Amino acid sequence: MLTLAILIPLLAAAVLAVAPLGATTARWTATGAAALSLLALVVVWIGGGEGFRAVSEVPWVPELGIAWRVGVDGMSLALALMSALLFVVATAWPIELQQARAYYAWMAFLAGVSIGLFVTLDLIVFYVFFDLSLVGMYFLIGRWGHGEAQHAALKFFVYTLAGSLLILIGIIVLALNMPELTFDMRALIDTPPLAAAGVVPGLVFLAFVIGFGIKTPIFPFHTWLPPAHVDAPGPASALLAGVLLKMGAYGLIRIPLQMMPETFARWALPLAIVGVISILWGAIVAFAQENLKRRIAYTSVNHMGYTVLGIAVAGSALGSEAARQLALTGAVVEMIAHGLITGALFLIAGAVWQRSQDYHLPNFGGLAGPAPRLTGAATLAAFASLGLPGLAGFVAELHIFLGAFGVYPWIAAIGLLGILITAALFLRLLRQMFFGDLPKERAGFTDLTRIEVALLAALLALVVLIGLWPAWLLSLIDARALIAVPGGGG
Amino acid sequence: MIWALAYLPALTGLAIWGIGGSRAQIGTLGAIAAATTLALAIAAGGETGHIAWSGLIVLQAALPPLAQAVAITVPAVLLAITVFAAAHEETGGLPRLIGIMLVFTGGMELVVIAADLVTLLIGWEIVGACSWALIGHRWRSQAPGLSANFAFVLTRAGDLGLFLAVMATFAATGSVGYDALGSLDGGALVLAAFGVLLAAVSKAGQVPFAPWLFRAMDGPTSVSALLHSATMVAAGAYILARLQPQLASAPGFTVAAMTVGLGTAILGGVVALRQTHAKKLLAGSTSAQMGLMIATTGAGYPGIAVLHLIVHAATKAALFCAAGIGHRVTGSFDLREMGLARTFPVAAALTAIAALSLAAVPPLSGGWSKEAMLKAIEHAGVFWAACAILAGGLSAAYATYFAVAAFGPGAAHDAQTRRGEIAGLALLSGATLALSALWNPAVHDAVAAWFGAALPGTSRLGLIASLTAVALGILAGVQVARSGQEAPAREWLGLPALYEHGAIRPFHALAQAAAQLDDGVIDLIPRGTAALAETVSRTLSRADDDTIDGLEPGRMQAPWHGAIGGLVAATSAIAVLGAGLGERLSDLIPGGSGRLSGMAGADLRQLQTGLAHHYYTILMAGFGLAVALLVLGG
Repeated sequence: MLTLAILIPLLAAAVLAVAPLGATTARWTATGAAALSLLALVVVWIGGGEGFRAVSEVPWVPELGIAWRVGVDGMSLALALMSALLFVVATAWPIELQQARAYYAWMAFLAGVSIGLFVTLDLIVFYVFFDLSLVGMYFLIGRWGHGEAQHAALKFFVYTLAGSLLILIGIIVLALNMPELTFDMRALIDTPPLAAAGVVPGLVFLAFVIGFGIKTPIFPFHTWLPPAHVDAPGPASALLAGVLLKMGAYGLIRIPLQMMPETFARWALPLAIVGVISILWGAIVAFAQENLKRRIAYTSVNHMGYTVLGIAVAGSALGSEAARQLALTGAVVEMIAHGLITGALFLIAGAVWQRSQDYHLPNFGGLAGPAPRLTGAATLAAFASLGLPGLAGFVAELHIFLGAFGVYPWIAAIGLLGILITAALFLRLLRQMFFGDLPKERAGFTDLTRIEVALLAALLALVVLIGLWPAWLLSLIDARALIAVPGGGG
Repeated sequence: MIWALAYLPALTGLAIWGIGGSRAQIGTLGAIAAATTLALAIAAGGETGHIAWSGLIVLQAALPPLAQAVAITVPAVLLAITVFAAAHEETGGLPRLIGIMLVFTGGMELVVIAADLVTLLIGWEIVGACSWALIGHRWRSQAPGLSANFAFVLTRAGDLGLFLAVMATFAATGSVGYDALGSLDGGALVLAAFGVLLAAVSKAGQVPFAPWLFRAMDGPTSVSALLHSATMVAAGAYILARLQPQLASAPGFTVAAMTVGLGTAILGGVVALRQTHAKKLLAGSTSAQMGLMIATTGAGYPGIAVLHLIVHAATKAALFCAAGIGHRVTGSFDLREMGLARTFPVAAALTAIAALSLAAVPPLSGGWSKEAMLKAIEHAGVFWAACAILAGGLSAAYATYFAVAAFGPGAAHDAQTRRGEIAGLALLSGATLALSALWNPAVHDAVAAWFGAALPGTSRLGLIASLTAVALGILAGVQVARSGQEAPAREWLGLPALYEHGAIRPFHALAQAAAQLDDGVIDLIPRGTAALAETVSRTLSRADDDTIDGLEPGRMQAPWHGAIGGLVAATSAIAVLGAGLGERLSDLIPGGSGRLSGMAGADLRQLQTGLAHHYYTILMAGFGLAVALLVLGG
C-alpha cells in the first residue's frame, strides 16, 4: 500500500511527461495522483497498529543490505499524510503557467519522492529520495519562478546537495558499524551503532546535524531559504516550506536521535542552543522584511527552531521522561502544523502575486475591502502561525515549551520571546496588507475564487481541528515509541 | 454542559457574523445568544468537565460559586451592551462587531470556567485576539489597526508570564491543574505566582501596561464598554482572585500585588482626572478600579475583589454607553463639548446613578463594594489603607467630573434619543441600583457565605476618612468640570513615549541590523564554502585517488573491509546519479524514461549557465571527506 502511495504519483509524472495532455487535464491528473496517494496513506492510517506498520520489503542489493523497504510509524505516517494533503492542495491550486504539462509532471514527481522519503525504511532509498526531492524542487523554482529564479534555484540545489552529501557519509559510517552491514532503519534503531564515545560518533553526528540542518533550515545555514521562496511560484513555495523543510527535521529525529541516542545526548545542549537562536533570529529578521514572502520565509526559520529545540530536548536524556515525550510530540506537531499553516500562507502569497505581481508590503493596504475572503484566510493563518491557542501552532509550541522547561529552563524561557516577536511581525503584516487605505493601483484587486477558498479551507480546517482537539494526532504520533531507551531498543 | 458556556456564544457569534441581517435581527439574535449563555451560567453551577488531549495534558473546567458569579456577570453585561450596540453602532460591519463580541464573551467564559492553566491560557489568548479584532474594528482608518497591534503585543508580553507559570507548574508537578498549582513551593511557586501576576496586571491595564487601554479607545464604544467591564481587563482581576488561595503563600506576592494595584489606583486616578476625552477618562478609571481589586486580592480578600468586579462591570459599562451617546450627539468625545442634561434628561439621570456608584456614594452598590475593599486593604496595614483612601477620593473626583461634564448643564442639542441606547443604559444602571441591595446585611452575608468569602471587619476611623475623601473628591470633580481644563500634553504620564523610544524603535533598529547581517555576513557561509571547496577539492582529488587505490580488496584483512570497496563503488554510483540528473531520472522513473530525461535535459540546458562545475566540485570534495571518514571510522 505504501509502495502504491509512492508509485502512483511517479507513474503520473511519467504519463504527464510523455502523453500530450492539455493544461487542465494535466492539473487534474497530477492532483488525482496525489489524492490517490493520500487515500492509500489514509487506508494505512485506518489500519492502525503499533510501531512500524504496513511494512513490505523487496531485496535489491542484498550483499550491501540495501532493499526496497517501506513502512511507517506514527510520526512518519503523520508527516506523509500531511505531505500528501499539501500536494493535493498545492497541485490543484490554480496558477497561470507556461508549459503547464511539464510543471504538473514535476509536481507529481515531487509528490512521489517526498512521500517516499517519509515512508521508506531503507537509508539508501531515503538518501536517494532526499536528493530527488531537490531535483524536483530545483526545476519547479528555476523554470516557473520569477525574479532571479534560476540563481535562487541553483543556490538552493547546491547548498542542500552539499548537506545531503554529509548525510550520505553519515549513513555509510553508521551502516558500516553495524555488526552485519545493513541499511535497514529498524535494525539501526533497535541496535544503535557507534555507541562508544570517541571522535567518530561526534563527527558523524555533526555531519547529520549540518546536513539535515541545512535543509531544516537552522541558523546559520538558512540563507538559501528566503531567495528560494521569494522567486518560487506560490504552490512550490508552499511545498518547499510545508514538505521539504520537514525532511530535515524528520531526518534529525529518525537518524541522529533514534540511531545514535548516546551521542545525541552528549550534543543535545548545543543543538538546543542552536534551536533557540533559530527561534529568535528567524523572528527578528522576519520582522524587518518588507517583502511578503521573505517575511513568511524567515518565520519558517523561527518555527523550525521550535522543532529543533523540541528534538534536542527529546534526545537530551535529562529531565523526566514525560518532559522529553512532550518535547518530541511538540516537535512533530510543529512540523505538521507548520506544514499546514505555512503552506496556506504561501498559497495566499501566491494568490497575491497572481493578482498584483508584487510582494512589497508597503505597496499594499486596505485589501480587506475588495478581498474579505483572502483577509479572513490570511488572518486565521497568521494567528495560527503566531501560536494563538485554539489553533494548531499553539498545541505544538505548548508541548515543546512544557518539555523544554523541564530540561533546559533557561533556554525555554528565552525561546518564549519568539512567540512575542512573531505576534508583532504577523500583526504588522496583516495591517500592512489588509487594513488602512486601499492604494489606487490595487483598485481592481479580486477576492479568492471559490476553488481557492475550498483548498485553503481544507488546510485551515485541520489547523483549527488540531488546535481544539489534538488528541487523535497526539496518539497517532505516539512519541513514547520514538525515544529510544539506550540498550532497551525502540 | 459547562464547556457550552464557552463554545455556545463563540459559535453563535461566528454564525451571526456569517449570516448578517438587519440591525434589529442582529441585535435580537445577539441578545438571545447572550441570554442563553446567561441561563447556562446560572444552570451550570458546580459542574466540572474534562477533555483529555493526551495522558499528560487534560483540559479541565469547574464552576465554583466565585467563578459562577463572574460567569453570570459576563453574559449579563453583554446582553445590555448588545442592545445598546444594535442601536448605536454604524450599520457597516455590525454583524462582525456583534459576532466577535460574542466570541469574545465565549473566550472570557473559558477563562472563568478554567480549572487548569492550559485551559486558562487558551481562553486568555482568545480574549486577547478578539480584543485585537474589536479594537481594529474600523479597519479602513490607520489608527485602529496600529492600536490593535499595540494592545495585542503589549498584553501578549504579559501573557508570557502565564506561559512561564504553566511551564513551571508542569515541570514541578507533571500536571497543569489548579490543584497542582496549590501544591507548589520554593522557586516553582515564585515563578508561577509572579508569572500569573504579570499576565494579570498586563490584561488588567495596570502600570506599566496601562497605555494599551488608552489605545484600545480606538475601538467602537460598545467594545470599550465590554472590554472595560466584564471581559479582558476583568480577566486580569478575576484570575488573581480565583488563584489567590494557591498563590498567596509565594514570598513577595502580597506586597507586589498591593504595590502594583494601589500604585495604579492612584496614578490611574490622576490620569483620569486630567483627561478631556470622555473614553480616556473612563479608561484611566478602569485601570484605577482594577488596581483596587488587585490590591484587595493581595490583601487576602479575593471574594470582595470579585464583588467589586461585578458592581464595577455594570457601572463602567453604563458610563461607556453614556459616553457613546455623548459622542453620537456632539460628534466628539471631548467632555468640554458635551453637557447634555437638557438634551437627554433620562440618560442624564441614568448616568448620574452609575457615576455616583463609581464615586462610591452610599447607598449605591459601588459605595458598598469600595468600602468593603477599603476595609480589606486596611487589614494589610495603615499605609496601604491611606493609599486606598486617596485612590477612593480620586475616583469620586473623576466620576463626578465625568457626570457633570458629560451630562451636566449645557446648551440643548438637536438630537433624537434612540430607544436601544437608552434601554442598554437603563439595564446597566438598573443593575447598579439593584446591586445596591448589598448594603443590606442579610444580602451581603448571604453572598459572602455563598462565595465562602470572609467579610473584613469595620474600623470607624477608616470609614470616616474614606467618606471624607469621597466628599472632597466630589467637590474637586465638580470644580474640574467647571474649570474646563486643557487636554494633557503627555498621555499616561509619558509611558507610551517610553515604549516608543525605549522598546519599539530600538527593536525596529535591531531587526533592521539583524536583517542586514543575515544577508551580508551569514550568507557568506555558503558562498565562502563554495570557494573554499573548489580550492580544497584540487588538493583532495589527488588524495582521493590514492585512498581509493589503497582500498584494493586484496590488502584488506577483516571480512567487512571487502565491503568498503563495494560501498565506495555503490556510493560513487549514487554520486554519479546525483551528478548526472538526466541519467538519474532515466534510471529511476519507470516508463517514458527517454522522454522524461530528454525533458530534464532540456530543463537543465535552460537552467545551467556554466555553474554546473560548482556542484561537481562540491561533490568531489564531499567524497574526499567521505573516504577520509571511512578510513578513520574503519
